[in-house]
Amino acid sequence: MSDKPEKSLYLSSSPHIFSPVSVSSLMLSVVLALIPSTVYGIYLYGISALASVFVSVASAVIGEYLFRKLIKATNTITDGSAVVTGLLVALIVPPKTPLWMVALGSLFAIIVAKQFFGGLGSNPFNPALVARAFLLMSFPAAMTTWTMPNGMTVHADALTSASKAADATAAATSQIADATSAATPLGLIHGHYTVPQIAQYYGANDTAGLYRQLFLGYRPGSMGESSILLILLGGLLLLSLGVIQWIIPVSVIGSTFVFAWLFGLDPVFTILTGGVVFAAFFMATDYSTRPLTPVGQALYGVGIGLIIVVIRKFGGYPEGVTYAILIMNIITPYLNKIRTKKYGYVAPAKPVKAAKGASK
Amino acid sequence: MAIKTFRGGAHPPEKKDRSSGLAIERICDIKRVTIPVNQHFGAPIQPLVGVGDVVRRGQKIADADGRMTVPLHASIAGVVKKIESKTLCNNLEGLCIVIEAQEGVSGDDFMPPLDAFACGKEEALARIRAAGIIGMGGAGFPAHVKLAPSKPISVVIANGAECEPYLTIDERTMIERPEDVVEGLAMTMKIVNAPEGVIAVEQNKARAVPLLQKAISSSPRTRAGMKMRVQVLRTKYPQGGEKMLIAAIAGAEVPSGGLPMDVGCVVQNVGTLCAMVEAFRDGKPLIERGLTISGGACAKPVNLVVPVGTMVSDLIAAGATQVNEESLRKVVFGGPLMGVAVPDYAIPVQKNTSGVLFLGKEEARPAEEEPCIRCGRCMRACGCRLSPALLAVAIETDNYREAEKIGLLDCIECGTCSFVCPAHRQLVQKFRLGKQVLRSMKQKEKEAQNVR
Repeated sequence: MSDKPEKSLYLSSSPHIFSPVSVSSLMLSVVLALIPSTVYGIYLYGISALASVFVSVASAVIGEYLFRKLIKATNTITDGSAVVTGLLVALIVPPKTPLWMVALGSLFAIIVAKQFFGGLGSNPFNPALVARAFLLMSFPAAMTTWTMPNGMTVHADALTSASKAADATAAATSQIADATSAATPLGLIHGHYTVPQIAQYYGANDTAGLYRQLFLGYRPGSMGESSILLILLGGLLLLSLGVIQWIIPVSVIGSTFVFAWLFGLDPVFTILTGGVVFAAFFMATDYSTRPLTPVGQALYGVGIGLIIVVIRKFGGYPEGVTYAILIMNIITPYLNKIRTKKYGYVAPAKPVKAAKGASK
Repeated sequence: MAIKTFRGGAHPPEKKDRSSGLAIERICDIKRVTIPVNQHFGAPIQPLVGVGDVVRRGQKIADADGRMTVPLHASIAGVVKKIESKTLCNNLEGLCIVIEAQEGVSGDDFMPPLDAFACGKEEALARIRAAGIIGMGGAGFPAHVKLAPSKPISVVIANGAECEPYLTIDERTMIERPEDVVEGLAMTMKIVNAPEGVIAVEQNKARAVPLLQKAISSSPRTRAGMKMRVQVLRTKYPQGGEKMLIAAIAGAEVPSGGLPMDVGCVVQNVGTLCAMVEAFRDGKPLIERGLTISGGACAKPVNLVVPVGTMVSDLIAAGATQVNEESLRKVVFGGPLMGVAVPDYAIPVQKNTSGVLFLGKEEARPAEEEPCIRCGRCMRACGCRLSPALLAVAIETDNYREAEKIGLLDCIECGTCSFVCPAHRQLVQKFRLGKQVLRSMKQKEKEAQNVR
């Protein structure tokens, strides 16, 4: 028996074993959690929605591959993060956005918002939301044209019979007259319609009926943001797998609810419409752009909630989620300074004392 | 009984079932030992014997003056063949005394028995030092220093948590020698004058609990009024870390930069307690220890008691254990999370070697480091509530002030952060390095100030 093993051994600093959780398995769980919303979106908007998802994911992945190749960096498409970004872009743009526009958004998200900053983990702004903001500014018409889900009819007379119609009403109604385009609940509330009117418009009997309909997801809007139920399903999957933690979703949704109430909006309507719940689970929780520390995350969530409500109440856009998160992304590095007290934390001695100790 | 634990931690696969059912075997027919001179944490000691000297088992062969030193003893009877530098289990070269068994040379050179409960504190501490006892859980801190705290102690914790995967020697010790564990705990309580003793056991070793409880209730020390109990802890890494044990059991936190005695605690590994019992009852110094040999590439997992200084290669040659050479990729001294990978089998077992692992292809897969995705898993897993992700950034950018603020020096190097990292970041590895840089920086600053 020799002292040497037959083969040479690996030497490395401990630990010698690793958890089976990897970057790609985390990204895969996010994709899994998005599948219910995606499938429902395809059900609502048909084959064109599927095409949109496909184009978005493909351009994100190909964009990442080609860009990394161009800058002679390692190939990172296998980590799955580009798939997630691509999927998210498809889920937050209006369902019938032209495919070239979707592809452009995806490429912008991957190349400008992510790779320009160094790739996964280094980007300061949520890539999918940067894409949405970019598209919204470049193509405002296309990005605010919403389509009726398949088979859904609305009662436009509920709006035309409205006695107190603001200036925006005319535009909204004329849009509604178009058979294929529709008004989103948020667009309507922004146009100063009341919640009961909106309920009537979507064919719900009363406000509770509208809430139920919004929760289940039978309304115009972007694919991923339609059904709160399915978003929650995906969100709970991520929570149970430990991919995301509860602090951000709870603080975003909770603070949106509270601020909406404080600002005199209908709080239930506010969180059920637009991208609040979707963003709370899938956007605000984005690893690289949210703070890492628990207190930082709570403040981040509350900040998002506040900005959403302020934009919806006072802003020019009906929806504020995208900008709320992008704005809070800016202060993430500062929120990271609010650390949990370490084990055995001892408050630093008074400066006078410290000087004494140092001179010893 | 409520199961206690600490905040954070991780759940590596336990893999203890391979050896937890196997009784401890005593390996006596070792013909050659290579005893590292300095196995303890503290000041170095010097050999007292020369090449060619005949030594008996238990004879003192190295020592030095100074508080942070412990003497070293021959673990077999024989002749000193060589005194030379060899690669040790920390991958550094260290002076070793090589003793070979020889015809006609035998016999023990033990101390006379001593009653720990009748003798004075100084006498007891002197015996513990004379027996060369150091912390056998891994750190190798001299026991006589730990048992002479300058602050009042309210609880002595017997550490039977054994949270490292694969290792089962502490579990077997508690199952096979519960009386000695209890006796050692009582001795420690007597020496540090503590009113309470707690034996901490992780939930996955629950079968040792009734045995320990029986040993406590039938112990003469309990009848004499000493208060001892068993505390079950959640199975979670690094539950056996001193700081985590104290948080779980005493509900207190060791202050940053402080010692367990600052919160009235003394923590002793169960193996150390048994060694103390032997030192008093039999006068036997610490010349052998129990360890687990296991791992994915270990064809014959075992729990052994071997003389200190036994080479792993000799254990394999003696058939005490077997290696599956086909799949072997790594040999690790200690557990898979904190152990040290060594380059070959010719490494001696030390007083603080709790196990030797032969890791196979699947386990020892080298992981490629990817960029941090900022998922925060390391921060939730850190038992010290540090922020490993931010700490790594601070170290990478040479911002040691920030690293110190985050708590670099509080890191216990348990490796949980690196274990949980989905991007396989070498976090704890950076912290080990960073600690040394920071300490040397502080040293330089201090020197500069002294010059002024």
